[in-house]
Amino acid sequence: MTEVAERAVPAIATSRTRRSAIADLFHYRQLVAMLVVRELKVRYKRSLLGMLWTMLNPLLLMAVYTVVFATIMRSPQRNFALFLLSGLLPWLFFSTAILQGLTSILTNQELIRKVRLPQAVFPLSVVGSNLVNFALSLFPLFLLMAVVRQRFTPALLFLPAGIFVLALFTSGVTLLFSTFTVFFRDVRHLTEVLLQMLLYLSPVLYDQQLLGERSEWWFRAFNLFLRLNPLTYLLPLFRDPVYYGRLPSLPVLAIASLESALMLAVGFLVFHRLAPRHVHYL
Amino acid sequence: MKTGEIRIRDAGVSYRLYREKVSTLKEAVVNRFRHLRSVEVFWALRRISLDIQPGEAIALVGHNGSGKSTLLKTIAGVLEPTEGQVLVQGRISPMIELGAGFDGELSGRDNIFLNGALFGFSRKQMERKFDRIVAFSELADFIDMPIKNYSSGMYARLGFAIAQDVEPDVLIVDEVLAVGDERFQEKCKARIRDFRAAGVTFCFVSHSFEAAKELCPRAAVLHHGRLAFDGPVDQGWERYRELERGPAPGPQIEAG
Repeated sequence: MTEVAERAVPAIATSRTRRSAIADLFHYRQLVAMLVVRELKVRYKRSLLGMLWTMLNPLLLMAVYTVVFATIMRSPQRNFALFLLSGLLPWLFFSTAILQGLTSILTNQELIRKVRLPQAVFPLSVVGSNLVNFALSLFPLFLLMAVVRQRFTPALLFLPAGIFVLALFTSGVTLLFSTFTVFFRDVRHLTEVLLQMLLYLSPVLYDQQLLGERSEWWFRAFNLFLRLNPLTYLLPLFRDPVYYGRLPSLPVLAIASLESALMLAVGFLVFHRLAPRHVHYL
Repeated sequence: MKTGEIRIRDAGVSYRLYREKVSTLKEAVVNRFRHLRSVEVFWALRRISLDIQPGEAIALVGHNGSGKSTLLKTIAGVLEPTEGQVLVQGRISPMIELGAGFDGELSGRDNIFLNGALFGFSRKQMERKFDRIVAFSELADFIDMPIKNYSSGMYARLGFAIAQDVEPDVLIVDEVLAVGDERFQEKCKARIRDFRAAGVTFCFVSHSFEAAKELCPRAAVLHHGRLAFDGPVDQGWERYRELERGPAPGPQIEAG
């Protein structure tokens, strides 16, 4: 009776409900996996160092920032290189996935015009391939930890969960921006600028606790922004286990999980609502 | 609804034609979003009603711009109708363009699996089909070669070989039979006849009367987005010719 099972495909009707959109996406999960593999294959083909680039990229960035911050600005942080890397890795995942993902509907337009499939597979597969890169970059991270004699604590076991929460948030943002890009092509340029600014306005190169207290109005505004910035709660999910060797605090974890679930829901719903109109704008 | 049934009720598809094409935010802001107001709605399809029973074969006929492709895309689920209903029960194999979704950098083998996934098949299911697909395509010697090195004929052969093996309930073919050499074309036609015999619903777009007559007893003629005729293929073709010549001439008065 395998034939029957293979034919169990949801009927294509004009009024698809929300639940069937999710079921539809689930049905195509293997396509997402395959698109991830394809992206990695194509990216690493004919490049001599292949996957090493993925690991080298954050290390090179880390080296530059370490030189700038530790020698010129005399940052007081112990193991400053590791401190930076534990913020840069999740940041690079987040920003690269968004920047690559927001053009994914445009780059796959030939396909979208010809084959019926849930279009969300394209931005999601970009997040997936960047997730693989993120996982690969854990190797140089652990290597650096060993080199600088950072303690390997059981808190590191939390990393998969922390990365998962960050990936949910990133997926939501990527879905949202990829559909906006279809209607306004300059969303990409805008996002590039915004991400540049966000890097310095998020606790990537510093920690909120290290800022201290000041009474100037701009500092209070900056502090308020940090409090409202979703990344303030997401980045510790990675840095706390790696650098401080502790689990993130419960309130931080709760806020991070909540905002990620919310972001994904909003991203998916908006994407699903606008997706049928994409084909008119491609 | 039965499997393989297509039910189209008062379906219409409209495109918005913006007098000023706006694709950046700056343009939108500078024009103060005027483009949203100066929109012209163009109906590529309007008030189409068609019932296609499981196992039926229908040819969609019409001049360029009549709405054939739009109708086909709505049936395939690529486009959603702006108004009305398009219901299709069962698995659709849209051979609208063979090899849509092929990645030139990947080998033929990888592309078979990728294409299968695009149709919603799992890797395991594709593994069972793999040998059959390769045999049908006659590309066994080239299957591990990146397909950017394939000739256009080989490309089409692989595309058809995959599309013919997805066990469709509804088969949509858009003039793809014009590709490949004559022998392979015959093979494709024979395969389509097999499908017909197995009770697969078949929608065919063609400009060639011979090809349509050979495969479909029924024809639907589209004209400027409206359904101008629905019935036997011979009469359908007459109607199509008539429409092509322009509006029917008035009664002729014989001089005598």
